[in-house]
Amino acid sequence: MPQPIQVDKLSKRYRSGFLIREIHALDSVSFDVGQGEIFGFLGPNGAGKTTTIKILVGLTRPTSGSAKVMGKSPDLVAGKRELGFLPESPYFYDHLSAREFLELSGQLNGVPRRELRERVTRMLATVNLTRAADARLRGFSRGMLQRVGIAQALLHDPKLVILDEPMGGLDPIGRKEFRDIILGLRDSGRTVFFSSHILQDIEMICDRVAILVAGRLVSLGRLDEILATEIDTFEVTVRNISEDALRTGGVKAQQILPGDDKLLVVVRSEGDVEELLRLLAAQDGKLVSLVPRVRTLEDFFMSKVRSQGAAAGGPGTGGAR
Amino acid sequence: MRLWALVRNTFREAVRDKVLLTLLVIAFLVTAGARLIPSLAAGEEVKIIKDLGLKSMTLFCVLIAVLVGGRLVYREIEKRTIFVILAKPVARWQFVLGKYLGLMLVLVTSVAIMTAWFALFMTLSRIPVQPQMLLQVLLLVFELAVITAIAVLFSTFVTPISSAVFTFAIYFTGSLSRSLLYWGTKDRPVLVQAVSRFCYYLLPNLQNFDISGSVVHNVPVNYAQVGLTVVYALVYVSAVLLIATLVFRRRNF
Repeated sequence: MPQPIQVDKLSKRYRSGFLIREIHALDSVSFDVGQGEIFGFLGPNGAGKTTTIKILVGLTRPTSGSAKVMGKSPDLVAGKRELGFLPESPYFYDHLSAREFLELSGQLNGVPRRELRERVTRMLATVNLTRAADARLRGFSRGMLQRVGIAQALLHDPKLVILDEPMGGLDPIGRKEFRDIILGLRDSGRTVFFSSHILQDIEMICDRVAILVAGRLVSLGRLDEILATEIDTFEVTVRNISEDALRTGGVKAQQILPGDDKLLVVVRSEGDVEELLRLLAAQDGKLVSLVPRVRTLEDFFMSKVRSQGAAAGGPGTGGAR
Repeated sequence: MRLWALVRNTFREAVRDKVLLTLLVIAFLVTAGARLIPSLAAGEEVKIIKDLGLKSMTLFCVLIAVLVGGRLVYREIEKRTIFVILAKPVARWQFVLGKYLGLMLVLVTSVAIMTAWFALFMTLSRIPVQPQMLLQVLLLVFELAVITAIAVLFSTFVTPISSAVFTFAIYFTGSLSRSLLYWGTKDRPVLVQAVSRFCYYLLPNLQNFDISGSVVHNVPVNYAQVGLTVVYALVYVSAVLLIATLVFRRRNF
């Protein structure tokens, strides 16, 4: 069985402006998304996330490289039968009601006529839009439109769901409900690929992440592996030793916080920890705890963005598309 | 089912659009206004009513075809509604054809309503409704099929305003196609002759769809010519929609 998403050396260049300047929106990006994964796609504005997603759903063709969705080219209709897609800031036919729009979506996705009504009613309830089901989309708020978008993406029970910034416009309750929907999809064996600026959401539900900066893939892997390899600091709690002794003993502490009868010493490297432990042994001090402080996804993301920005001589060689 | 869903959605969008309703109301008013004309042109009432009725029906339906057709695909791109539709198992040719057939359904419905209204108006005015008039209405539908196809083609790659200008230009040139050919053969430079011949063969010959003269003056209609015109329309529409699909398939969004 093919991987739900296979991306191989994907590049996309746009020509723009009077002097026909070439913009590299994507530069040889490769990754796979496995069956039953929740895959987070991160990157600052203009990194190429939406361009990648547009290629995956067949809206744009790559300049070079290839992408496959459920083992098929995104250009082919067959590749889209098992796909649900929610675009960024979605716009729907505002002359339709939510129910009419979902019925249209179901028909286009080949949902059997006899099941359509029931599925639409159930999906409207899932996204909490039952009361607004027969109102025209023209009067919907951004959050309500986002719910309609999620409903149309899931209505035909797809095996793969691609969501571009799905949390945009949702309130905290909506975000929680949406996270539950995504986790439910994974529990039923579905694959979810989504981009988001809200790192907290990605950190809470994603199995793997890819970070894209200026059209290049700068990090890819399991979230726990990425963050575990990136220890930021060590928090060492000690007793029976004074702050002065630590300072004069040559410990390179980033911070020393006095407690009741303890001191919390924050150091940067393993070498600093060893130095501290040697001093403790020499001064008859006691080690209470040693906790490596793992970086958050935000720390990791920002460091990648900064390092790529510095390497490229400034951020944003790509462009928002 | 997919194609029908697209057709139905386009039809529903146009029906709920105020532009269509406004044009229909104006068309009704203009036809009703023909009641005022007889007093100004005694003896020619019947001809004037028939002519005005058929011409106003043509004008308003052409306006709908050009104005609604010219933004049909473009608006989907501009409003980004196309993102959701093309990410579903919908082929691009299905999308173009669905939009086209949806608008044709609107036009056929509009023509049917206007014809019924016009027939009622004629009956009330004690003017007999001839079969030729219905034949002219049928040819109008095929003429609209050609114009709508051209408008849809333009809407796949230019703005609604440009599309309307180009389609109107083609409509007016096509309505004078025989004059264009005549103008090009009459002691003109070779280049002018070539251009006029090129335009004559490339642009739709819309004069063939107009038998209103025969209808108004009760002259027998050449049915073979009508049949050929219908075949011509079908071939022309197929060719234009094929080009529209090819253009649309190449587009990146």
